Amino acid sequence: MNWKLILLTLGAFILIWVAFLVTGVSTVEGLQQMVKGSMGSARGWTGTLREMTPLLLLGIAVFVGLRAGLFNIGADGQFNIGALCGVFVALNYQGPGAIIVALLAGCVGGALWAWPAGLIKAHRGGHEVITTIMLNNLAFFLTLALVKGPLKDPNAQSPTSANVADAAFLPYIFESGNIKISLGWVFGIVAVIGLWTWLKKTVSGYELEATGANPKAAETAGVKTKAVTVRAMLLSGMIAGFAGAIQVLAFEHRFYSGFSPGYGFDALGVALLAGNSPIGLLPSSLLFSVISKGVTSVSLLGVPKGMNGILIGLVVIVFAAMRYRKAVKNDG
Amino acid sequence: MSEIMVQMSGITMDFGAVRALENVSLSVKQGHIHALVGENGAGKTTLMRILYGAIQPTEGSVQIGGEEKHFRSQDEAIHAGVGMVSQHYSIIPELTQLDNLMVGAEPGWLIPRAAAKTRADELAQRMGFEFEWDALSEGIGPAQAQKLEILKLLWRDSQIMILDEPTAMLTPADSDLLYGKLRELANAGATVIVVTHRLPEVMEYCDEVTVLRSGQLIGSKVVSETNSAELAEMIVGHAIEFQKPDKFDAGEVVLSVSGLSVKGDRGDEAVKSASFELRAGEFVGLAGVDGNGQRELFLNLMGLQPTLGGGITLDEVDITRHSTSERLLNGMRLIPEDRHEEAVIEDWSIEENGILGLQRSGSVKSGMAINGSAKAAIAERITTLFPTKFDHVHQRFGALSGGNQQKVVNARAFEGNPRVILAFQPTRGIDIKVSELVFQKLRAFARSGGAVVMVNFDVDDLIEHCDRILVINHGEVFEPRPEESHDRAAIGRLMVGAQ
Repeated sequence: MNWKLILLTLGAFILIWVAFLVTGVSTVEGLQQMVKGSMGSARGWTGTLREMTPLLLLGIAVFVGLRAGLFNIGADGQFNIGALCGVFVALNYQGPGAIIVALLAGCVGGALWAWPAGLIKAHRGGHEVITTIMLNNLAFFLTLALVKGPLKDPNAQSPTSANVADAAFLPYIFESGNIKISLGWVFGIVAVIGLWTWLKKTVSGYELEATGANPKAAETAGVKTKAVTVRAMLLSGMIAGFAGAIQVLAFEHRFYSGFSPGYGFDALGVALLAGNSPIGLLPSSLLFSVISKGVTSVSLLGVPKGMNGILIGLVVIVFAAMRYRKAVKNDG
Repeated sequence: MSEIMVQMSGITMDFGAVRALENVSLSVKQGHIHALVGENGAGKTTLMRILYGAIQPTEGSVQIGGEEKHFRSQDEAIHAGVGMVSQHYSIIPELTQLDNLMVGAEPGWLIPRAAAKTRADELAQRMGFEFEWDALSEGIGPAQAQKLEILKLLWRDSQIMILDEPTAMLTPADSDLLYGKLRELANAGATVIVVTHRLPEVMEYCDEVTVLRSGQLIGSKVVSETNSAELAEMIVGHAIEFQKPDKFDAGEVVLSVSGLSVKGDRGDEAVKSASFELRAGEFVGLAGVDGNGQRELFLNLMGLQPTLGGGITLDEVDITRHSTSERLLNGMRLIPEDRHEEAVIEDWSIEENGILGLQRSGSVKSGMAINGSAKAAIAERITTLFPTKFDHVHQRFGALSGGNQQKVVNARAFEGNPRVILAFQPTRGIDIKVSELVFQKLRAFARSGGAVVMVNFDVDDLIEHCDRILVINHGEVFEPRPEESHDRAAIGRLMVGAQ
């Protein structure tokens, strides 16, 4: 009885075909170019892994929230705030451990930006989806105002901060020819393993998952679910802020208007696609970055960047349908 | 005059490799109340789900009114006049009572509310029930929900009514009332099948009884030609011995509650200045009509319901202001009323659920980590304390049958050196033999120096098993006079406030 799923996948392919048709590019050629551009060369892989770094870190942030029963739509805002905090510290402090201090600043910024949403959810029952969307808007306009005003690089035309000093660049841990792997990517991998260990092996991780799975049962089992909710939101925001600071120190080296192309929203898909285990974040963030990098390279053929959104959207829909079917089956 | 209304013949049901029913036949006469009894997993509910069209048998036939039927869905069964009230009521709290009555069987695309209400009133009047049709259904008690479910069958013109454990949540008085109504319906021509494991009900109210054991038909009897002992033996395969509580000397006070007032969910005073003591060794019953503050009292003792006044001491330590977590660490245990919502996380494995509530206790928590071997050991113990049917401890908890879930939840309460076990209906959905074992273990735990309070809506169970019985009525806790401590009538009077 899997014909519905096959039909759905087939439908997705037809949509992809039509989308390519509209842009005037042969589908086969387009898909070939996508695979080649993202995974066919050292340069392609470098770009894909670079794209994967924020998607993975933000995916972790959203995932932590989901496990605690929180839908953190605000990852994008926390990412922006974290990046801005990272830039600000890196520009103003060049002492020992500048990189670490800047990363910490990103963590604190992201956590503070998520905090109100956690508090409102825990103590007033206000839904985190609403509050974090609002906080996204605030973050967007606040950071824009800052890079147009006090943080603006006086030598630049567009609203952007100055570049941070070379000493504050996050190093590549592997560099050979055209392949470059950033330390930031490694942090992402380590964080996934750390998160897995924490959730599966520690009491606090267990209590967080209990709160997300059945808050009433968790309460009965002595879990302080309100505190867990606030802490989970703080942690989620902290990781998102960390991702922002990494993005600055590893790749962008400055903050500018339009800093995040919507990474925080793609991360929702990454986290949903990952399923129940943090390990799933690795393939899902890789898939998203392959699509994203592939579309960038296929844009040379004249395919608009919007194709990215179409492809990711289809992946998420097909996957959600698969999971939904499974859930229905489980319930008998 | 009595014609056979339902004839199920040679029913075999396989779930994958598991054979749930083997060559079972059942015939039920029109106008009769027919009891279907057996232990957990005997196949009673499976047989009824086949009759109701929810599942299709592997082999065998179903005849309704002499006509062969092959139901492919519940809809088809409902159209043929078969209706079922399952153990878990399907009342949607956000809908009005009238909407709940109609849901799934609305008169048409447009609902003529006035006409619908008139018909609803007629049906209610015929049964002697009262409903506030326009009020929301949230907070209606189990007895009222049960009545609404029965009206739903009448609304659908069901001629064959299946009730799965209808009295599980009812007081003795409500149970009597229910069977009275069922008798009226049967006299008016309905055919009633009751799935139960309460033998006194079968003996008192039913016409015929069919016994299943391990998916096999053991036999059918006319009730007037059999007795409880014979039926009990048919159910379990050998005669059961009921153990009487032994004599013992109560020890020091373990839990002391003085002047405790508890705030209810609606801001009312759900428990009013309750005072009682539990001594080491005691297995105490708490009798009362459902909804009289039992739930709030237990939740408050666990730190889950706000206190208005009074205090609690555990082993002479004042725990009135302690958190739930601290109380658990100090040995308070709750077997909650609502297993699905309060006791377990159904999507998790049995093993993960095994440490729920014990996650901070000394044996499980080592540093910040969960001790994996302790977790595995607990899973092993809680699935073997009471005979539990399961595949492996890593399977989804929700995949266990209701009775087996309850056994695991019960067993978990004995873990981690408890001092006091608060047990809310711990034998709900569990068959006689294992229920007996649950009572035994609770008593044995008490005798080893702990204390137990058990809420059970079956007063006979309390009288039979408990050393002492407290009664709660409208949030006030009473204790019968010593000479009437196990007197059914005296307890019944206290339950309804007639002294």
